[in-house]
Amino acid sequence: MKVKLSLLMFALGVLLILPCCRERLRAPQTDSSVNAYDSEADWNNPDHLIPLNYQQTEGKRIFYDKCVWCHADATPAGPSNRSNLTPTPHLINDGSTLNPLSDEFLQNLITLGGSALGKSAMMPPWGRTLSQEEIRAVIAYIRAVAQPPYQPSAGPKPQYSVKQSSGKEDSTK
Amino acid sequence: MNHEEMGKPSARLRFAFAISSVLFVLALAISPVKDLLQEWKRYKREYVRFAQNRPDTKRLLADYHPGIDQIWIPSLNVVDRCTTCHSGISEPAVLAPSVTQPFRAHPVIPHRTKEWGCVVCHRGQGLATEVKEAHQTTLAWEQPLLSVQYIQASCGVCHRNDLSDTPRLNRGRELLVHLNCVGCHRLEGIERPAMIGPDLTQVGNKVSREWIYKWLKEPRTLTDSNGNVTVDGYENEEEPRMPQFRLTEPELRGLASFLSSLKGQPVETYKFDPRVVGAWEKKPDLVQQGEVRFRQMFCTTCHSIAVTRAGETKLIGGDIGPELSKAGSKVNPDWLVAWLRNPQAFQPHSLMPRYQWSDEDLFLVTRYIQTSLTDTDLLGTVPKLDPPSPDEIQFGRRLFQEKGCASCHVIKGIKPPTDFGPDLSSMGSKTVSQLLFGDAKVPHTLIAYIQQKIADPVSVNPVARMPQYHLKPTDLAALTTALLSLTGERPDSGIGTLRVPANNPEFHPAGAFGELYERYKCYVYHRFNGYGGTLAPDLSLEGSRAQRPWLISFLKNPQTLRPSLTFRMPQFNMTDQEAGILADYLGMVMQSRSVSFAGTPPADASPQLASLGKQLYEVKYQCQSCHTIGSAGGYVGPNLNNVGNWMNSAWIKAWLKNPQALVPDTLEPRRDFTDQEIEAITAYLMTLKQNPPARKLAGIAGAQGGRP
Repeated sequence: MKVKLSLLMFALGVLLILPCCRERLRAPQTDSSVNAYDSEADWNNPDHLIPLNYQQTEGKRIFYDKCVWCHADATPAGPSNRSNLTPTPHLINDGSTLNPLSDEFLQNLITLGGSALGKSAMMPPWGRTLSQEEIRAVIAYIRAVAQPPYQPSAGPKPQYSVKQSSGKEDSTK
Repeated sequence: MNHEEMGKPSARLRFAFAISSVLFVLALAISPVKDLLQEWKRYKREYVRFAQNRPDTKRLLADYHPGIDQIWIPSLNVVDRCTTCHSGISEPAVLAPSVTQPFRAHPVIPHRTKEWGCVVCHRGQGLATEVKEAHQTTLAWEQPLLSVQYIQASCGVCHRNDLSDTPRLNRGRELLVHLNCVGCHRLEGIERPAMIGPDLTQVGNKVSREWIYKWLKEPRTLTDSNGNVTVDGYENEEEPRMPQFRLTEPELRGLASFLSSLKGQPVETYKFDPRVVGAWEKKPDLVQQGEVRFRQMFCTTCHSIAVTRAGETKLIGGDIGPELSKAGSKVNPDWLVAWLRNPQAFQPHSLMPRYQWSDEDLFLVTRYIQTSLTDTDLLGTVPKLDPPSPDEIQFGRRLFQEKGCASCHVIKGIKPPTDFGPDLSSMGSKTVSQLLFGDAKVPHTLIAYIQQKIADPVSVNPVARMPQYHLKPTDLAALTTALLSLTGERPDSGIGTLRVPANNPEFHPAGAFGELYERYKCYVYHRFNGYGGTLAPDLSLEGSRAQRPWLISFLKNPQTLRPSLTFRMPQFNMTDQEAGILADYLGMVMQSRSVSFAGTPPADASPQLASLGKQLYEVKYQCQSCHTIGSAGGYVGPNLNNVGNWMNSAWIKAWLKNPQALVPDTLEPRRDFTDQEIEAITAYLMTLKQNPPARKLAGIAGAQGGRP
C-alpha cells in the first residue's frame, strides 16, 4: 500500500512540475541573409551578399539616388563622375578611410558639405535636401558595406551597450 | 476495537487524508503557477531585468505595466497585443541592432508604431500571447508573419500611388504592367491598356508562316542555330514581350497556318523618288549611311539591337518598342516602308511616333534594316511547312481562342474572352487552404505558391494555360511583393477606407498642340502634369524653364544636354511650323507658379556681377563638380555651355533658391545662397551663350509670339 501511495505521489509531483519545465525563452533564430530586409552585393566580391536592415536599406536607396554618381565607379546610368574630380571622392565602401571617422563627423560632413569641415568644396551640403534621419540612414549603409568591415568597438563607443547580448544578431523582427 | 476508539480514525487513514489534502492543495496550485509562468509574463519580467541593467531604466520603464498591452484599432477591426512582449517598440534608446529581440525598438518609419500596432503591416495573429501562435501558421490562424523581404507589400495595401521608400513594391507593380498580366487576369488598380499585343488582323502581310512558327516556339529571336540563347536573356535581360507558351507541334502548325492566312488589304508598294533610289543604289556605302541615319535618328531610344563587342553579344537600346536585331529577316519590305510612314494605320494604338520622313532617309533606313539586321539562320530550324489546309486553319482559329491568344491580340471578327485567368485582386490575402499545390515540391505557403506558379505553372497545375516566365530572383521577389499587396479589401472595409488612391489623370490636350502631341507621342517619354513616361525630362514646367528660340531649335535638332545619357530624343524632322506650335504651347501652358517673370527684365547685368558669379561658381561652391562649362567639369548635371540661350533667368533664380520646390526629385542639393549670390550666379550663367540661335527661328510661326 505504501509503495502504491508513494508511486501515486511521485506521479502527481511529476504532473505538477511538468508545466513549469517549458522550453527556454528565445527569439526564433533564422538565417539573417535570407530574412534580411534587403541585401547588397560586396563590390569586391559579388558572391558575398551583405544583409541590410530597414535603416541600411533606406540608406542604400538614398545612396543610389544622390551619392552614387561620385562615390562609385559604376552608376545606374553607366559612367561615373568620380574619375572626373580632383581630389577623387572616396568609394562608399572604402572602409580603411571611413571606418576611423565617427558617425558624428560623417553626419556633419554630409549635412554641411566638404568646405565647412576643411575638405573639398566639391562635396556639397545635403542638410537642406535630406533630413537628419535620412543622413543617419546613409551612414548606417556606409557602415554596413564597408570593406574591411566596420567594427563599432574600434570606433567611438555606441551610446548604449547591452550586456546580455548573446552575440548572435538576428535581423528579423 | 473498543468503544472509545470507535470515532477515532486510524493512523493510516489519517496519513492518507493528510497526503490527499496536500495533493489537493498542489492540484489547486497548478492553475496559478501555470498562469505565473506564461510566456508573455516571462518576457515582461525579462524586460524589467533588461531595463534595470541599463542607465536609462526610468525612461524604459515609464510606460511599463505588468499586464497584457493591447492596441485596439476599431475602425480596422484590429486587436494587437504584440507590444506585450515587444516592450521597447517605440523607445528610440533601444534601436541598436545589438539589443536582443523582442525588446528592440522598431526602426523609424513614416507611421507611429504605437498608433498602428504591428499586425497591420507584419500580419500574424495580433490577439495571441504566445510566440508561436503570434508568428506562425496555426490551425486557428492561417496568416503567418510576413517575411521582411516582402514587407513593402503592406505599404501597398493602402498606398496605391508609388512611394519613394518602397522600391521593391514599385518595381513589382511596374512588372505587373510590363508583363501584361492584365491581359488574362483581373488586377485591381491596373487598367487594361488600349493595346497589349499587336493587332493581328493583317499579320499575314507582315510576316511569313515560317516566321510565325518560329516565334510561337521561341519568342526570343536571339537564338543561334543550335537553339541556344546567345544573349543570356534569362539571367540578364528582360523577359521577351511575348511570353513562352508550351505549344505542341500540331498546335504550332495550326496557329501558324491560321495567322498566315490573315491578309486583309494587300500593302501597296511605296514609290520612292527615282532620283533618290538612283543616287544611292550604286553607292557602296549605302548600308553604312543607313546605319548612320538609324543611329542619328535615335531609333535605339526605343528599340534595342544586338551588338557584339569583344566576343560578347549584348542588347543595346530601349524597350519601349520591339527588339530589332533580326527585323530584316522578319518583315515584308513593302510592309516595313508602309509601317514607318504611318504606324497608326496598322496599329491604331501603337506608341511609335509618326516621323516626317524624307524619301532619302526612309530609303536609307529601310535598306539598312533589310540588309544588316538579318539572320540567315533564323528560320533554319523550322521544319518544312506545306501550304495550310482549311482544317489546319480552322484548328488554328480554335486554338487562338482556347489558348487565350485573343486576350492580348485583336483579330477582327474574334471576340476576346472575358475573365480568362483567375481574378488576382485578392491574391495577397489567400489562405493556404485556398491554394492548390499539385505535385510541386515547395513549402505550403502563399509566397512559395506565387513564386512556383510564375516560374513553373505546370508543376502546380498540369493543365495550366499560363505561360512560363523566367525572372531574375530580384524581379520575382518584387512581383511577389506586388501580388501580396493585393488583398482585395473592399472600399467600405476598414483598410479599404484608408486607401490612398494613385493619381495619374490622363493628359490629352486638344487643338494643334494636341495633334502633334499624339503624332510624336510626346507622352510616351515625357511627363505632363503627372501623366506620361519617365524616360525623358518632365515637361510640366518647361514653359518657365526654357526660352522659346531655344525650344524651337532643340525640337528641330535635339542635341543631348547630358552627355552621360544613352537614350536621346529622336530627330523627327519637324517642320518649322510644328516646332513653333509645340514651343508656343509649352511656353504658355506648362508653367510653374513659383517662377515669376514679373520684375525680371533681362537686366543687363554688370560685368562685375557676372564675374563675382563666376568666382562663386568656380571657387566657393565648385559647381564644376557636377556641371560642365567649356570642356571641363562633371557629368552629373546638365552641360551649361549654352545656358544663357537655354534657360530663363527667372527660372535659374527660383531654381537656385530651392531646386526641390520646382522638381521634387532632382539631384541638385539645396544650398544656402544669399540673394546677392543668386543674382551674381544667375548673371554669370546668363552670359554663357553658344551658337546664338538664328533670328529667323525666333520669328517662326510666332503670330501670337512667345513670352518676351
